Amino acid sequence: MPGSAVPLEVEGLRTTLFTRRGEMKAVDGLSLRVGAGETVALVGESGCGKSLSALSIMRLLPDPPARIVGGAVRLNGRDIVALSEEAMLDVRGREIGMIFQDPMSALNPVTTVEKQISEVLTAHTELGRGQARVRAHELLEQVGMPDAGRRLDAYPHQLSGGMCQRVVIAMAIACNPAVLIADEPTTALDVTVQAQVLALLRKLQRESGMAMIFITHDLGVVAEIADRVVVMYAGRKVEEAPVDDLFERPLHPYTAGLIGATPIPGAERAARLADIPGMVPPLNALPAGCAFAPRCPRALPRCRAEAPVLEEAGPGRAVACFAPGAP
Amino acid sequence: MNRFEFLGRFARNRGALVGAVLMLGVAALALLAPVLFPTDPLRIVGPPELWPGEDPDFPLGTDSLGRDILAMIVHGARATLLIGLFASAVATGIGVTVGAVAGYFGGWIDDAAMRAAELFQTIPNLIFVLTIVVILGSTLGNIVIAIGIVSWTPIARMTRAEFLSLRDREFVQACRSMGMGNARIITGEILPNALPPVIVLSSLVVAGAILFESAVSFLGLGDPNVASWGRLVGDGRQLIRSSWYICAIPGVAIMVTVLCLNLIGDGLNDALNPKLRDR
Repeated sequence: MPGSAVPLEVEGLRTTLFTRRGEMKAVDGLSLRVGAGETVALVGESGCGKSLSALSIMRLLPDPPARIVGGAVRLNGRDIVALSEEAMLDVRGREIGMIFQDPMSALNPVTTVEKQISEVLTAHTELGRGQARVRAHELLEQVGMPDAGRRLDAYPHQLSGGMCQRVVIAMAIACNPAVLIADEPTTALDVTVQAQVLALLRKLQRESGMAMIFITHDLGVVAEIADRVVVMYAGRKVEEAPVDDLFERPLHPYTAGLIGATPIPGAERAARLADIPGMVPPLNALPAGCAFAPRCPRALPRCRAEAPVLEEAGPGRAVACFAPGAP
Repeated sequence: MNRFEFLGRFARNRGALVGAVLMLGVAALALLAPVLFPTDPLRIVGPPELWPGEDPDFPLGTDSLGRDILAMIVHGARATLLIGLFASAVATGIGVTVGAVAGYFGGWIDDAAMRAAELFQTIPNLIFVLTIVVILGSTLGNIVIAIGIVSWTPIARMTRAEFLSLRDREFVQACRSMGMGNARIITGEILPNALPPVIVLSSLVVAGAILFESAVSFLGLGDPNVASWGRLVGDGRQLIRSSWYICAIPGVAIMVTVLCLNLIGDGLNDALNPKLRDR
């Protein structure tokens, strides 16, 4: 990894879906910086563009209908938006890895664990079959697979969800990528296994210093793993803050709503969780002005006419709101 | 799924078991043909039109020219099975390639491939086979190619359908995220998942190919140097009123073999199709 370059820098990324029902701005001007060893959580409800952002960064969205219409994704200082598909093949898996939500379905059901890991290794390195197998074994041990030697020849259906996720992680880090994108990696797992996987990701990050984007809608997980948080709504970044600041003083009403909708252990039972009324608007029917205005308790007349832009709000903080909470 | 599970599930279908055993018998006969009957089966060896059982030297009798029917049946098994297997291999090769590419890439490639498949499907199969054989000439190889060319469409459609359902699965996305190219994903990741139903279909295409070959040979367009079963039926048809056994014996052989292959296809379907696993 080049010393000075930031592992991942996304600038004004815009991805549009060109469909029969019109153009939908799935990702609208997203900017992100993830430093080495840093974890940035991407937070928001379902349908707010988190996964589409991740897939855009990987350039994995099918074109048509999705196309990146603007912005830059700099990986170790190199813009990959304009790279050819062949060049991207070499980038994916080697410089940037990805972990998926459901580990059971992210593995090929008819291939053994060892073959799947070796496949990545032989695609990107000069390792032969035998060496790849040895390296696969090492990787399984690195991700804490119990009884790694015996699991090499196991099929995914013979493993538990947690073990499958370990295999998926082993595949993602096989070539020591500088950036790891984890798309809700713990959502499909039991709570106890979730904690193990989070601990594993933290350990791997400490060892390798990779930058991590962690996509989730679980604020409990965010508090656990993230250094910084980016809150997304309807394809846009509405707030960015260091994790502690965010929980202490959320600036955007949407962030406040998300935090309010998260149960706190020990809090009074009688108190109902505050929900955010309404739903994320469909991308082809975004309201004029701020996309969150129709659901916002603090909405001003101005919010319905004009979209707020992201503005700095204190050290390391930014928010896109005309009526932000007290900083 | 390990091998024992597979065999167990296959054997649970009694019909498939019977079919497989009979088929193994036919295959053994075909393999041992040069040992059992070392001389040319098309040689005249006895008096014509001996009925089965009339002469212990010719247990299944002789045909109108005095050739040993048993020897021709055993050697014919060889030709018939080889044609069936190779024709099915040709059909599977074309079908899987076209279906995989069409299903994986979609779009205009898919449209073009499926229109081409429809074109092939609209031509009556037997007439198409006969036309190709007449144009290319009556050799074993050409008959195999002709049957392969008319039989690939169902395999292509099946493969395409499997690819369509598999290509958007998360593990394929995961492979892309690890930088695997299209060729690698098609052959290494999706194809192994798509194969089970294709294998079942291929086993049925073998049966279909045997019937095609029989029809071609019956009509006298078969390879003149090879004693295939269809040809034996064709040779005997002038004498069907007096010596009907000349037609009937190879006819029964064709029927039994095709039936066995269909039973095996059913058994493979039971064994390979996870949806029917606990029926």
